[in-house]
Amino acid sequence: MKGNIVKYARDNIDTDVIIPGQYLKVHDYAELATHAMEGLDPDFHSKIKEGDFILSGKNFGCGSSREHAPIALSHSGVKAVLALSFARIFYRNSVDGAFLLPIEIEQDAYDGISEGDEIEIDISNNEIKNNTKNQTYKMKPFSDIIGKIIAAGGLFKYKPDSD
Amino acid sequence: MSETLFEKVWKSHVIVEKESGPSLIYIDRHLVHEVTSPQAFDGLRMNNRQVRRPDLTIATMDHNVPTSDRSLPILDQTSAVQIQTLEKNCKDFGITLFDINSPNQGIVHVIGPQLGITLPGSTIVCGDSHTSTHGAFGALALGIGTSDVEHVLASQSMWLEKPKPFEIKVEGKIKNPHAVTAKDIVLSIIKNIGTGGGTGTVIEYTGQGISDLSMEQRMTICNMSIEAGARAGMIAPDEKTFDYLRDRKYTPKNYESLVEQWRDTLKTDSDAKFEKEFVLDINDIAPQVSWGTNPGMTCDVTDNIPTPDEYSNGDENQKKGAQKALDYMDLKSGTAIEDIKINRVFIGSCTNARLEDLIEASKVVNGQKVSSDVSAMVVPGSQMVKKQAEELGLDKIFINANFEWREAGCSMCLGMNPDILSPGDRCASTSNRNFEGRQGTGGRTHLVSPVMAAAAAINGHFVDVRKLDLK
Repeated sequence: MKGNIVKYARDNIDTDVIIPGQYLKVHDYAELATHAMEGLDPDFHSKIKEGDFILSGKNFGCGSSREHAPIALSHSGVKAVLALSFARIFYRNSVDGAFLLPIEIEQDAYDGISEGDEIEIDISNNEIKNNTKNQTYKMKPFSDIIGKIIAAGGLFKYKPDSD
Repeated sequence: MSETLFEKVWKSHVIVEKESGPSLIYIDRHLVHEVTSPQAFDGLRMNNRQVRRPDLTIATMDHNVPTSDRSLPILDQTSAVQIQTLEKNCKDFGITLFDINSPNQGIVHVIGPQLGITLPGSTIVCGDSHTSTHGAFGALALGIGTSDVEHVLASQSMWLEKPKPFEIKVEGKIKNPHAVTAKDIVLSIIKNIGTGGGTGTVIEYTGQGISDLSMEQRMTICNMSIEAGARAGMIAPDEKTFDYLRDRKYTPKNYESLVEQWRDTLKTDSDAKFEKEFVLDINDIAPQVSWGTNPGMTCDVTDNIPTPDEYSNGDENQKKGAQKALDYMDLKSGTAIEDIKINRVFIGSCTNARLEDLIEASKVVNGQKVSSDVSAMVVPGSQMVKKQAEELGLDKIFINANFEWREAGCSMCLGMNPDILSPGDRCASTSNRNFEGRQGTGGRTHLVSPVMAAAAAINGHFVDVRKLDLK
């Protein structure tokens, strides 16, 4: 997976700013996407491109359990969020619906990657390559089960092992 | 083997356990509302699935319902569609629904306990993060997203990695419990452990400071567990718990024999180990007021707003976050909390809109008038709370003071219905989140207790309610 970074250098990005409450009535995902990150960055929709990644700090996706948050980001084109840590419901929602990859990173990646950098995510080797800066960072590996759900394409496509 | 309360409830609900990875957990009760369920029901239809246990599934509408006159049509068409969709889904799948005209309608986390749906030792899920509220009864209660709502509708179970048990011991005794409340205890906890302090854990609240609280106050504590990042919050049931749930609409017929079992089993063994511990002494805590844009950005009412350096303890992101929060809130470090003027007051939400909350707030308001530059509203947590409050004459106390007295719903807690802040409004709110734009685009939220919100409404700014003669 290759894409460019949109960086929000802060902790605690909550799901209310990812998709404000007034849009939870919107059922059309394409329309929902036009309001992604509106609570924090009204320019997000015009600058985000298909295949981009978001980079942020600790506790990304905290607050409301609204699955609309990963849906809105996903339908904006975001393929992965790289963060120092995630709130658990957001993490789970992202994986369950196969909306985007929640990737936990270490401080070196957080500090090293800048807005606009071109990044390659190599899940099989748990590596993140920064093509712009020619750096490589480790990502925290997905747990066994999360990896399987992601590989299957979401919770409803995943068939638990028969063993 | 010694176990915590959480581990006991977990163990009694495991269907499939694997050596590593998540376990499949049986769900006893599933609460459904209009906002996070439509896609889940669509998913069932697409796959020709039924609701596995409609008898264990209960629905109401709370998030986007208007709180104004319910005899009038709903003007917001998208809200009306979402409400009609829930009606159709409940009818098609045979689920009990407390609709907008039901005397049992209300915020899902208020009506669950009021109707006796919430039971000690049970597992409860809802497509809403504040499901943690029900943990006050010794239930394992989890907020989930829409994919999991669909999974539970279809299978009455969900996959979950076992969270770690975290003990928060609340020691000591509050000097005046009418002035310093459960809200101040839980905001103090989050201020100390941070918004990520509980990540990956289920918190059990213990200690005299918790056992002294009423059930409604315990719900306020567990409600905000999610604001500390925890998966859930729990409190071991005691006689107060058993008394609260007796003779409710859905209280089981064999309730007394269940109580006998719960009394013996639903507690943490004395030598059980927690993964993590935190102790809060509440002897001298003050009323709390949030100044920033997450619930951890909170200080005593007697404090001045901290500088980003004071707040951050050297963490660069925390420092930046504090500066951004101050900019958004249009506040300056060093300003005394009591000097902050507000122009809106919201008494409501699943955190603080139960009968006791309204009784305590009414004592501050009684015989007074809302400050001329403030508009204030009370939104009871359920139609049952509203009715009980009206039987006590609380509606008249609030209305005579120029508060608006509304119908039940989530209302201005999350800004999905017409009850929203305008840009630049500054609100003393009894809700749970002070995130940017949460109560309306550009709105500024200060989280406080009901008595603190009531006193701010009367005075037009925050005041230390310990100075009032509250009994």
